[in-house]
Parts: sequence; C-alpha cells; structure tokens
Amino acid sequence: MNILIIEDEKKVALALKKGLESEHYSVEVAFTGEDGFFRLCSRIFDLIILDLMLPGRDGTEILGTIRKNGIRTPVLILTARDAVEDKIIGLDLGADDYLVKPFAFPEMTARIRALARRGRTDLATKLTLADLEMDLLKRTVRRGEQAIPLTTREFELLEFLLRNQGHVVTRDMLARDVWKETVRATPLDNVIDVHIGRLRKKLDEPFSMRLLHTVRGVGFILAEKDA
Amino acid sequence: MRLRPSSVRVGLTFWYSSALALIILAFSLGVFFFVKASLFRQLNRQLDSDFLAVSQVSSEEPNEVPEVENENSSRIFQLVKGGKVLFETPAFKRSGLPVLGKAAASGGRTVLSPSGARFRLKTAPVGPDLLLSVAVEEEPVRGALRTLAIILLLSLPAALALAGLGGYLMAGRLLRPVSIFAARAERISAEDLSARLPVEDPGDEFGQLAGVVNRMLSRLEEAFERLRRFTADASHELRTPLTVIRSVGEVALEEELDAAAYRDRIGSMLEDVDRLTRLVDNLLTLTRADSGSISLERKASDAARLVKRAVEDMRPLAEEKNQALTLAADGPVRIRADEATLRLALVNLLDNGIKYTPESGAIAVRSYVRGSDAVIEVADTGRGVPPGHGDRLFERFYRAEQDRSCGPGGAGLGLAIAKWAAEANGGRIEWESREKQGSTFRLVFPVDRKADETKNP
Repeated sequence: MNILIIEDEKKVALALKKGLESEHYSVEVAFTGEDGFFRLCSRIFDLIILDLMLPGRDGTEILGTIRKNGIRTPVLILTARDAVEDKIIGLDLGADDYLVKPFAFPEMTARIRALARRGRTDLATKLTLADLEMDLLKRTVRRGEQAIPLTTREFELLEFLLRNQGHVVTRDMLARDVWKETVRATPLDNVIDVHIGRLRKKLDEPFSMRLLHTVRGVGFILAEKDA
Repeated sequence: MRLRPSSVRVGLTFWYSSALALIILAFSLGVFFFVKASLFRQLNRQLDSDFLAVSQVSSEEPNEVPEVENENSSRIFQLVKGGKVLFETPAFKRSGLPVLGKAAASGGRTVLSPSGARFRLKTAPVGPDLLLSVAVEEEPVRGALRTLAIILLLSLPAALALAGLGGYLMAGRLLRPVSIFAARAERISAEDLSARLPVEDPGDEFGQLAGVVNRMLSRLEEAFERLRRFTADASHELRTPLTVIRSVGEVALEEELDAAAYRDRIGSMLEDVDRLTRLVDNLLTLTRADSGSISLERKASDAARLVKRAVEDMRPLAEEKNQALTLAADGPVRIRADEATLRLALVNLLDNGIKYTPESGAIAVRSYVRGSDAVIEVADTGRGVPPGHGDRLFERFYRAEQDRSCGPGGAGLGLAIAKWAAEANGGRIEWESREKQGSTFRLVFPVDRKADETKNP
C-alpha cells in the first residue's frame, strides 16, 4: 500500500513515515503543498495523509484541486484545529476521514486500516485469536472449551479489540468507538480502565496464555504474545 | 488634575454668568424705563401745576402777572397778546425760546432751545387773544437718567465679574470630589486594584458615583484576582507533566537500560503527554465555550434517559469503591438540550461525586420535574465543601483543598465544564454542601413544554 504524507512539520512527517514503514506501508513524504501536488500527479497512491495547515498552498486548496481533477484516492486529513467547522469543511471537500492533532499513532494506523478495508463488506460472523473465539450472531465468547460470560459493554469492548487484534488501541479510540463518545473532554479514562481490568479478569486470569496486554502510556493490545 | 473638572468648572461658571447677565440686563432696562417714565410724569405734573397757577393770574389780571413772578422764582413763562410779548420771565428770555403764535398751542411737548437745552413746553390760550407758554427745564431729569444709566452700565460688569468669580469658586468647591476622584483613580492600576474612591456623603450624587465606581472596582479586582489565580494554576498544571516528561527522559538517557526498561520509560513519558493533551483539550473546550464558538444542537431530549446512560457508564467507578450509586427517575423529563454537552456536564458531576465520596459511601442520582424546572440531582455522601468557597468552586482549576498535591487528583476543570455545559443548554447549576456530610449538585433546566404537548395531545 502506497501512502503519501503531505505535512510541513518535518519531525511529525518523518516520525509518521518511520512508524508507517514499520507497519509495512510504503511511504513518501512531501513537506510542501506544491511538492505534494506534484507527486500526486506523477504517480498513483492508495492513500493521502494531508495536513490542513500548510504554508503556501493550504491543505483545503490541495484537497479541492485533487477532487476537481478526478483523483479519487482516499484522503485522511490532519488538523490542529479541533473545531467542528474545520472537520466539516474537510469532509465537504471530499476528505474521507480526519484526525485532530495531537493524535495517537495507533489511532492513525487504525484509520488507515479502516480506509483500506472500506467498500469490502465484512461477512465474518466469528472473530478469533488463538483459542479465543467470539460468535457475533450468538453473542457468545469462548476460550477453548470454556464459555466466558460477558456484559454487553465487555462484549463490545472485546469485539473492538478483536477487530484490531495485533494493533494497539488507545483509550480515545475506545471512548469514541465503544462508548460512542463525541466530545473528547469527557472523563471516561478511568471507566475504560475499570472495564479493561474486569475483561482481563474474565478473559486471561484463568488461562496460562495472556491475550490482553497494556501498552504503558498508549493503550491496550489484544495479541498472542508473552508479556 | 485640571483636565476635565476644570473645563466643567469653566462651563458651569459660563452658563451661570450668562444667565445672571441676562437677568441683570433685563432688570436694569426695567429700572431705567420705569424711572424715566415716572420722572417725566412728575415733570408733566409740575408743568401742569405751573401752567394752572400762571394762567389763573393771567386770565384774570394780566397786568399783575409780573407780580406773580417775584425775584427768586424760577418759573419760565411768556404771555403773548396779539403776537406781541406782553410779559416774559428772565428765565424764559435766557432760554432763547421763540415767541409762539396761536398755531403752536399744545398740551406739552419737548422743545430744543437755540442754546441746546431741552424744555418741556405747554402753550395754550388763557383769554381773548392771550396766549400763555409755560416751560420747565428737562435737564435735571435727563441728567438724573444719564447718571442712572451710567450707574447701571457700570454695575452690570462689576456684578457679573463678582458673580462669575463667586460661581467659579463655588463650582470648584462642588467639583473638588471629582478632582480627588481623578487623582485617586490615577493611582489605581491593574497591579493594585485595592484603592477605593473616598466617599464623603454616601447620599449625595458624588457619594453615589463613588459608590458605583467602588463596586465596579471590587468586581474588577475580583476578576483580576481570578485571572491571576487561573494563570498561576494553569501554568502549574501544565508544568507538572512537562517536568515529569523532561526528567524521566533525561534520567533514562543517563542510564544503561534494556529495551523493556526503555519502553517503560517512554510509556511513562507518554502517560504525561496524555495528561497534557487532556488538559489542553479541556482548556480548549472552555476557551471555545467562552468565545461562543461551540455550536450546539439543542433538540427535544429526555433528561432521564441521558441520566440513566451516564449513570450506567460511570457505575463501574462507583463499584470499584464499593459505593452505592442509585438512580431514581419518575419518568421522562423533557428538556431542550445538546445531548453531547449535557452528557459532559452529567459525567463530570458523577465523576466528581464518586471521586470525593469515600469507599462504601453513597451517591444518589435523581431526575424529576419541580414546577417549571427539570432537575437532575447528584447527591453524594462525600467530604463536602468546607464553608467559604462559594461559587468559586466552578472556577477553572479551583479546588476546595488548598494543597493541590493531595486529594483524588484531577485538574479541577470538571465543575467549570459542567457549569458551562449547563448554561449553554439554558440551565444552571445549584448546589449545597455540608462539610463531612456530602454535597448535592443540581442541574436545573426549563422544562420543554412543547415536547409534552406534542407527546400527549
């Protein structure tokens, strides 16, 4: 998957490039709007990550031109302005998703995966990891032969973790996608931690192999690894 | 000192003097014309009585007229018979008045003599072919009037000058509080708002003005104090995570650690980055709320449903502390609200209640309708708020405990956000608290009657 990052802040751009490359994406970086637009026209990308606040050619301007020229590549916009208006302008101009700075890197990779998946209908009725199996139709969870009874919230939490298995999930992502929180300032972090603790107790404690891990300072990851 | 008050003073004096000048002028003119009229009336009466006296003698005994006129009489008259002067007094001769014919008969008129003096002259027949002319000198009257005019003209500016000076001094005395206000206000600045204007008599206009200004200064001082506290608290809250990030990073660089340990250090730094991000997010929310740039979508909502959801979301936190979190709702509570911000208020209040209530305490949440108000109540059995904090509780970063390092944490923005969220939805926060017994916070909104009508026609 080829990604073009158009971002004037060099440190941010290079950190993103490195991070995405370690996730096996092929990444090009443009530090100016002009350079970005030139690269866009010269080859085909699968995804564009576009900063809205660029010197010279503004991100919204580039986005408008891209869409006017019929380039349909998905665009993920980055904005430091957390104003609703900004997001709306970006989405109106044809962006596919947005991230507000400062964002957590796992959140960006999750968005990229979601954009790459888009259009493909997910027909899976079962999610699995190692001996963990979640039946989405019957709403049941098992580890091996043992059924694990979960509350609705715990089930939704585990489902989200399973869908993002192998990737770090931040508290912000959980608040938004599991708790459906629209305002970032809502103090849900402690609530999330309590639920994770309870889920871990049911999911991992009786078993030898732990699946739910905490990544300090970032979030949680559901993966087959020893901690 | 002499800027504004002095010009008001000059203005006052000017208007005062102008009014006075008009009054004096009108008065002087009145006096002058009244005196003039009465003096001339007197002159005419004298002329008439002279004429009568002389005419009686001359009509009966024309030849005895000279005897009427003795040496020291100053009467001025002339007796003419058939166009020839029969007799005239020396004074008449001196006056140079002409010999008058019948045609000149008149009841009294002013005549200018060849020598330039004015006379009041009455000419009338007193017998067959006998014409008597009697005159009185106008000069004494005119002289008196001239003197009067001079006196009046001279006294006008003198009176004006005196009155103006007096008025100026008096205005100065009256306006002195203003100069004192100005001098005092000059010393009041943002650095020192503690000074107040002097109030000599709280009843008079200046006293009232000083009172108003003083109250404004108190409010300003309070606002500045709040701002100062906010800045100090904000920088403290921002610096703490920055210090942690910096020192953890610096120490980790000094040490020889394995990959896992480095990861742990970086994780620790990221935790504080998170704390910073959250703080900035909250501050941004409040700042945007201040500038009114948060667009709310207020629509008919059921507060009871929102409360239920918030309570269920926060319940795990209460369970962790073995607290009884109870919810009592009488049924739907219809209000118009932006659900996201209202939820923000609810979650913050619940978070606060759980945080400040000790283990095994109780938090009772109720939603009900009280008259025309929809009320959401969060009552805890926590430590309560010591008296004397008042509504400063809702200030940014304000915390009831003095020592920021103790207590259950949180940056102290929760209540500020809850208050904004309540007010943005047309409501308010009520609260009461008893130390060591618990606090009750109520979100109060006007009931949405329209929704009730459409739901139950």
